[in-house]
Amino acid sequence: MTKYLLKRLFWMVPLLVGISLVSFLIMHLAPGDITTSEASFNPKASEESRQKLRQIYHLDEPVIVQYGLWLKRMGTLDFGTSFATHQRPVFWETKDKDGNVNKGMIQQALPITLMINLLSLGLIIVAALPLGVISALTQNRPPDRAITLFVFIGFAIPSFWLALILMYWTGVVHDWLPISGLHSLDYENMGWLAKIVDTLQHVFLPVFISGLSGLAGISLFVRNGMLDVLHQDYITTARAKGLSENTVVYGHALRNALLPLITILGLAIPGLIGGSVIAESIFAIPGMGKLFYDAVLMRDFPVIMGILTIGSALTLLGNLLADVAYAWADPRVRRGVVQ
Amino acid sequence: MKRNIFIQALSNPLAFSGFIIIIGILLLAFLAPLITPYDPNAIDVKAILLSPSSQHLMGTDGLGRDVFSRMLFGARISLLVGMVAVGIATAIGIVLGAISGYYRGWVDIVIMRTVDVMLSIPTFFLILAVIAFLTPSIWNIMIVIGLTSWMGVTRLVRAEFLSLRGREFVLAAQTLGAKDRRLIFTHLLPNSLTPIIVSSVLGVASAVLIESGLSFLGLGVQAPQASWGNILTDGKEYIQFAWWLSLFPGLAILITVLGYNLLGEGLRDALDPRSAKK
Repeated sequence: MTKYLLKRLFWMVPLLVGISLVSFLIMHLAPGDITTSEASFNPKASEESRQKLRQIYHLDEPVIVQYGLWLKRMGTLDFGTSFATHQRPVFWETKDKDGNVNKGMIQQALPITLMINLLSLGLIIVAALPLGVISALTQNRPPDRAITLFVFIGFAIPSFWLALILMYWTGVVHDWLPISGLHSLDYENMGWLAKIVDTLQHVFLPVFISGLSGLAGISLFVRNGMLDVLHQDYITTARAKGLSENTVVYGHALRNALLPLITILGLAIPGLIGGSVIAESIFAIPGMGKLFYDAVLMRDFPVIMGILTIGSALTLLGNLLADVAYAWADPRVRRGVVQ
Repeated sequence: MKRNIFIQALSNPLAFSGFIIIIGILLLAFLAPLITPYDPNAIDVKAILLSPSSQHLMGTDGLGRDVFSRMLFGARISLLVGMVAVGIATAIGIVLGAISGYYRGWVDIVIMRTVDVMLSIPTFFLILAVIAFLTPSIWNIMIVIGLTSWMGVTRLVRAEFLSLRGREFVLAAQTLGAKDRRLIFTHLLPNSLTPIIVSSVLGVASAVLIESGLSFLGLGVQAPQASWGNILTDGKEYIQFAWWLSLFPGLAILITVLGYNLLGEGLRDALDPRSAKK
């Protein structure tokens, strides 16, 4: 098992290099850089000073040289500093010579996005399991059709539209929930319990909305997995033994139908991270999506590269975690892995 | 065999309603100039923010433009983007998947590792980065969505080719001296077509959603050209006193995506031999 893990971790390195190369090339093939977007804010910026700026950031070098420089700094996990926001470190905090700590941009944004995504993943599982099981047990009858229609509507609702409507209805018309941001203004003065409640109130809508759109895939998966398992011979055997229908369904079928779900959840990670852009811009939540959107508009290359790399690394880790969890849960897979 | 699957899928009421929805929306988009008397981009300062009435079925927007006309012409844009983007992705997927599954060896390894790399990058981030750097236009959006969503089809075609290559009718053709080109185009590809069609139908649904999301962020189809996403963006400023500007475009996206998904899942269900036994 350790050998398998090491092998997988080792393979992540060339994949990450490939990912960063693709991202780097795509970004630099497009016309324009930070100096063109800065200049539009500052009409006094001369061609000369822009040229100087390009030299400082090596933007005048060929793309492949720039990539080499970036990769070299990556070797020491140095993601560089942001172009656009007064030299803030992209990834992790640094100390300047006066001992002031400068927080990293991803360091601050990542926990927020992770929290929202984990909460919505939890919501998806809690809702998708019963829906999928009921659907499978009533295959092609009205409850199954109603559930299928419901989860498809959840998937088809444009998240920004639902966000807008719910924000207006719960925040403006009724004043039930805060409409934007992650914390209230007096957050710093609250007790720990009030802090948690305050944060949960702020993330409730984003979590609900991204959960609703992710529900369809998982609940259909549980449904089809259950149907598959219910037709296996050992289920017939269990019924023939005279076990109660509940034991057959929940003790024998469900446990086996759930195994592949681990892999699917691992695969859902990039979608959840990518989906955070729209939700975070609407609700003004300072997570990875908002950070990325702002960086893209400013052509802030180090931040864009940092987020793409960290996001992809998280995806790869998520897949690895899912595979390990699968091997842990299913002895058949475990044997295959060890061999 | 192919015809059977479509008939079987349409006997499922959900898939059938999806089919009807798609036909209906395609007709509305196609016949747009015949249905509405208004020019979708004509500004009328005397008719600003009128609520829905018999003159303006879905009201008018902040510039006095008829929302119903803009919705109809917006449908053309949204559907065009969805279908062309999926066309691009499917074409790339078929070519790469066929090469990968037919020739195997190192080409296969290179293509499949590239697929892994592309699947690991959060797709919406990638699309956003590229679109923001290019000038946002309808063509760029189609191309970018197409270039970032071919991985599923590639895997699908490769898997089909791998399984078909070992089948007896292919081996027989090969023994009779059929060349690579003949094997690929008359034996392997036609037999892989049904799953490709299913994945394309589902692909249109997600492409329509991506386009509307981009337009909503201001990086999609640009004014004055109407798309469902940007009608909604314009409308959100007026949400307190002109609900119709926010309601209709969202509903249109919902219904369209739902239609493609219902049909696509119905087809997939009919295709899956395991779901046939009851």
